[in-house]
Amino acid sequence: MLGFTPADYSAILLSVKVATTATLLSLPFAFAVAYVMTYRRFRGMVALDVAVNLPLTLPPVVIGYILLILLGREGLIGRHVLQPLGIQLIFTWKAAVIATAVVGFPLMVRPMRTAMEAIDERLIHVSRLLGAGWFDTIITVILPVSVRGIIAGSVLMFARGLGEFGATVIVAGNIPGVTQTIPLAIYEYASSPRGDVMALSLCAISIAISVVVLVFHEWLARRMVRRD
Amino acid sequence: MELQVTLQKRFNNFHLDVEFEVQGERIGVFGPSGCGKSTLVGLIAGLSKPDRGKVILDGETLYDGTKNLNIRPEHRRVGMVFQRPSLFPHLSVKGNLTYGLKRCSTANRKIAFDDVVEVLQIKHLMDRGVKYLSGGEKQRVAIGRAVLGNPRLLLLDEPLSALDDSLKFNIVPFLKDVCSTFTIPYLFISHSLLEMQIMTDQVLNLSDGRVLEKTTAEALVRARMGESMAGYMNLLRLTSPQPVDGIYAYNWGNQQLLIASGDNQPEGLFELLSTEIILFKSHPEAISARNLLQCRVIRTFEARHRVGVDLDCGGDGHLVAEVSRQAVEELGIMEGSEVYAAVKATAFRKLV
Amino acid sequence: MKKSVWVSFFAIMLICLFTVPALAAGINVSAAASLREVVNELTGNYAKQNPGVDFQNNFGASGALAKQIENGAPADIFLSANMEWMDYLKTKNLIDEKNVSTFAFNILVFVGKPETKVAKLQDVVKLEKIAIGSPKSVPAGEYAMEALKKAGLDTRLENKLVMAKDVRECLMYADRGEVDGAFVYKTDALQLAQNVKILFIVPQELYSRVTYPMAITREGSKKSDAAAFMKYLHSDGAQKVLLKYGFSVK
Repeated sequence: MLGFTPADYSAILLSVKVATTATLLSLPFAFAVAYVMTYRRFRGMVALDVAVNLPLTLPPVVIGYILLILLGREGLIGRHVLQPLGIQLIFTWKAAVIATAVVGFPLMVRPMRTAMEAIDERLIHVSRLLGAGWFDTIITVILPVSVRGIIAGSVLMFARGLGEFGATVIVAGNIPGVTQTIPLAIYEYASSPRGDVMALSLCAISIAISVVVLVFHEWLARRMVRRD
Repeated sequence: MELQVTLQKRFNNFHLDVEFEVQGERIGVFGPSGCGKSTLVGLIAGLSKPDRGKVILDGETLYDGTKNLNIRPEHRRVGMVFQRPSLFPHLSVKGNLTYGLKRCSTANRKIAFDDVVEVLQIKHLMDRGVKYLSGGEKQRVAIGRAVLGNPRLLLLDEPLSALDDSLKFNIVPFLKDVCSTFTIPYLFISHSLLEMQIMTDQVLNLSDGRVLEKTTAEALVRARMGESMAGYMNLLRLTSPQPVDGIYAYNWGNQQLLIASGDNQPEGLFELLSTEIILFKSHPEAISARNLLQCRVIRTFEARHRVGVDLDCGGDGHLVAEVSRQAVEELGIMEGSEVYAAVKATAFRKLV
Repeated sequence: MKKSVWVSFFAIMLICLFTVPALAAGINVSAAASLREVVNELTGNYAKQNPGVDFQNNFGASGALAKQIENGAPADIFLSANMEWMDYLKTKNLIDEKNVSTFAFNILVFVGKPETKVAKLQDVVKLEKIAIGSPKSVPAGEYAMEALKKAGLDTRLENKLVMAKDVRECLMYADRGEVDGAFVYKTDALQLAQNVKILFIVPQELYSRVTYPMAITREGSKKSDAAAFMKYLHSDGAQKVLLKYGFSVK
């Protein structure tokens, strides 16, 4: 079909795998961050806000490079944590997941925060007075009521993850079958004079996946509205 | 129920500084908007933290600033109903009702689910989503939800203020029935004297963050009488209407009252303003008012520029009329005087 | 106030769009990444000897450069690391055929950390990750792939090859320790390797000789300075520089 090589098929599969894993991995962290930013007051809130939103404004290659410095063999975390434990992250698909998760993190947090901020404070008070502790309230009230924001955030991160290139190429490298996602495959074809047809074919796949994801998001959003 | 409170809280430009002790089942907290009623109640519930003070409920210290003791709201067993029902949108009516019940330890579960549903008449709503309930239905579910949490004190923060009049007095009997059936003491917060009259025995009068006095709704109403155009509101619970000449006659004490706004409902709550009662020294032979009551003056009391007259209309019927000081002198009205009270059939307003 | 904002805006736009860079006779050189230092030195020498001639040097993978030129990037002289990309531009009629000649030769080697236990080509299958120029556009990668295929090792290296965008990136990966070894040219290793050394030389019989063809493009044939520079590149002086960097000229 479309003259794809095995490397191309694995690029497609890898893109979906990396984006999905990054999204699932980030969910609890993004939720926790959104919760803290919405419901807890503390000194340094502004710093957290800036830190969380930084990936939005930084060029992805900068993020990739910073991750490389931290997680590489000589890096802060690499030298003191990863090496002793025998964990290799750079140039593995795990690095691709981390790069995608970091770049997409603010995209996931934002809709979650918006949804949480829209929750009537009285609902939380009621749940507490009915005997629910703060964790109980999170699970039984905040989470279900903000689920639309959670889904929106997940879809955004997934979509962004499918297209992640800058950070990924630096920290995970371009390894066919291991870290070569669709954008990296397209880049390689696009640098080659005879690669235009293949590049366009992969572009078409990329667009198709994005369309499917966005249609799914719309459908889900409408379903939530109807249920209300 | 016994509640001892000493609290101070300062924020923005507002300073709450209260100290009081109340015992009873139906306590009111009265005051104008912004006087600190909601703040006080939030502090008692544990939803916000005071600057300093003490809260002791039924002998248990819920908060003590000096000992750094602050029991979390989920452990205080204090329930709350707000102005807006704030039902959980993602749960059904049943889910809402059982939320607190599920989290109540079995030892404390004294109130049966079915009984509450029965009293509040919400059985037919059980599986519905909360979005399709009417305002009154929502508030009833909110009350049921709070009650099923088996609280030892129920805080009612202006629960009727968001409802329109007819709905307001519709909810009142449900509220009273639930609290009396299941013996739940409550603190009723409102800026409406009428609601105080109906719902409370004792009242804490709050103003600008301070407790002015501990009094009763009655006393407050009487004190306010002279200040307000409406005067004193007589509340009459009347039964057994009989249709007469196009209107209805209700039993009241050992007399009958003719009321234009009556209907064939077996029971009704009516309001009669003190200013609508005309007093005669002697029996007027012919009068257009359909109600003429023979009464004896129990006492008179001063209220700003007017004089309130407590009337005994026989058989447990009491009314408060309001006349000018001059009229009192002219008619020689004093304790023990026999007077006739005339009230037009149209003067009564049906509340429920 | 609004009007003057619009006027300034348009003025700036016009200036940006229509300003012609005031270059004295500029020659655009597109050269393979492995030629970076030697070409910079040669153009520097020539410019010193011939004031009034300016150079814009652009380095990258030869395949990528060919594509750039095909898409209209300015290039007067093209130095490729293999014949393939030169032939490619020939078929597109972008090269002045009369002016193709050979610039230099090179040797393919394998570099890695000194302690790596790799002494011959067959040993590389023991490694976890190997950097190689993307065979789709990097000649160094094409040569390496050719050798691996001939030795029957390519299938055993699936999922181990890290694709680099040019031969220098390959070296960088190895130097930084992100891969266990890399296929680069001898000249790259000699010049720039800091933490790695040549572990073995790839047997010449396994791949075609690394040949650097050079040519004037059709665009460049309009410039007399381009032809003059080409002549310089053939000169003894230029060849001395090549030898200094480790290239062969015969």
